[in-house]
Amino acid sequence: MRRQVPLVLCFFFGVTIILTRFSPHPFSQSFYEEVNSWALIIFPFAFVLATVTLIRSHVTRIRRRSEHWQYSFIVFAGLIAMVVIGVPFGPQHPVFEWLFNNIQVPMDATMFSLLAFFIASAAYRAFRARTFEATLLLVTAIIVMIGNVPIGDLIWSETSSVKQWILNNPNLSARRGIILGVSLGVISQSIRIILGIERSYLGGGD
Amino acid sequence: MELFGIWVTAFLTLCIYSFLYRDNPFYRFAEHLFIGVSVGYGIVLSIHQGFIPFAWDPFWAAVKPFWPGIPREAGWMGLLKLIPIAMGLLFFGGLSPRHTWLIRYPSAILVGFGSGISIPLMLQTFIFEQTRGTIEPFAAINAGTLSPWGIVEAVLMVVGVVCTLTYFFFSVEHRGPINWLSKVGIGFLMIGFGSAFGNTVMGRVALLIQRVDFLLNDWLGTIF
Repeated sequence: MRRQVPLVLCFFFGVTIILTRFSPHPFSQSFYEEVNSWALIIFPFAFVLATVTLIRSHVTRIRRRSEHWQYSFIVFAGLIAMVVIGVPFGPQHPVFEWLFNNIQVPMDATMFSLLAFFIASAAYRAFRARTFEATLLLVTAIIVMIGNVPIGDLIWSETSSVKQWILNNPNLSARRGIILGVSLGVISQSIRIILGIERSYLGGGD
Repeated sequence: MELFGIWVTAFLTLCIYSFLYRDNPFYRFAEHLFIGVSVGYGIVLSIHQGFIPFAWDPFWAAVKPFWPGIPREAGWMGLLKLIPIAMGLLFFGGLSPRHTWLIRYPSAILVGFGSGISIPLMLQTFIFEQTRGTIEPFAAINAGTLSPWGIVEAVLMVVGVVCTLTYFFFSVEHRGPINWLSKVGIGFLMIGFGSAFGNTVMGRVALLIQRVDFLLNDWLGTIF
């Protein structure tokens, strides 16, 4: 009961969704829309559960006085500020928008820009041209980087054209190979899940 | 308020960049604030753009007729929303170790839905379209409308795709011609990874330039 019913549910929803995608009948399409909305309804509950788990882990940190436990209060402050304003008043509320535009967006951009420094040190290690393959990677990366900035065309007027040719041809062919392989893998894994061969999402226990 | 916002943003930006020196309390403060704000933002969006329009509004429209004096706006279909709401509530079984197994029901629906939707999507968007894009230039070659350089590019594309796929094909031993094809595939892959690396670096540097521009012009502009 605890494992069989979820397997039946997974099989039912998987197979019916596949069938609706191959049938243009209005009933099939409305069924697809309805089930699609079900997934959108269920997902926020999973998000709330994830949040509750996050809160519990930080409460445990505070209770045990783990290292840097004081910062857990900062997590709660940010979380409560967004939820207390956003849930009752909506995401269009000026204070919510202010928090989003002046705290979340700039911090998000700054966190990612921080990677520019670390990627440079990683490049130093990775880009030592010891083999033919490493040299190929090094030369391509340099051409793409230089071709993206105006100084590239100042050094050689065809730099950006060469960069574009690399992106449109050898790069695209490699990407297509990867995409085709990944897609075939996703399809086979989906079939295994629908047929109940792959059951890891059910977790352990009875 | 705008000036205050600029100062808050500048303070948090500098807090994060302080990590370049080493881990410190300012960075940890900004890091934890970022986690809290991001999770809060996710909750608000999933409620206002997921739960309310797709569950609460149709459900309320179906329940309304039971209230006296309120005209009936929608059919009984809205009551169907009780099923996913009940399924979603089962996620909270995860909070009790004895009832963790209840999570399997909503998870099975989401996983089944995701698997079902990904099969036709992957077939149509990636396999058919990418294969079509790879072999389509050969129709132009057949029609005699492709330039000699275009023919070279078309052949290069097919060679690249076949060799890359061969590298990932482990059902046969990589010896002889298969080994050579696989080695050519590695070359194409290295070009692909180099391009991805170059683009990623430039994307991160663009973000860095934007943040430095904010600090130099927007923030320091309020002081000097």
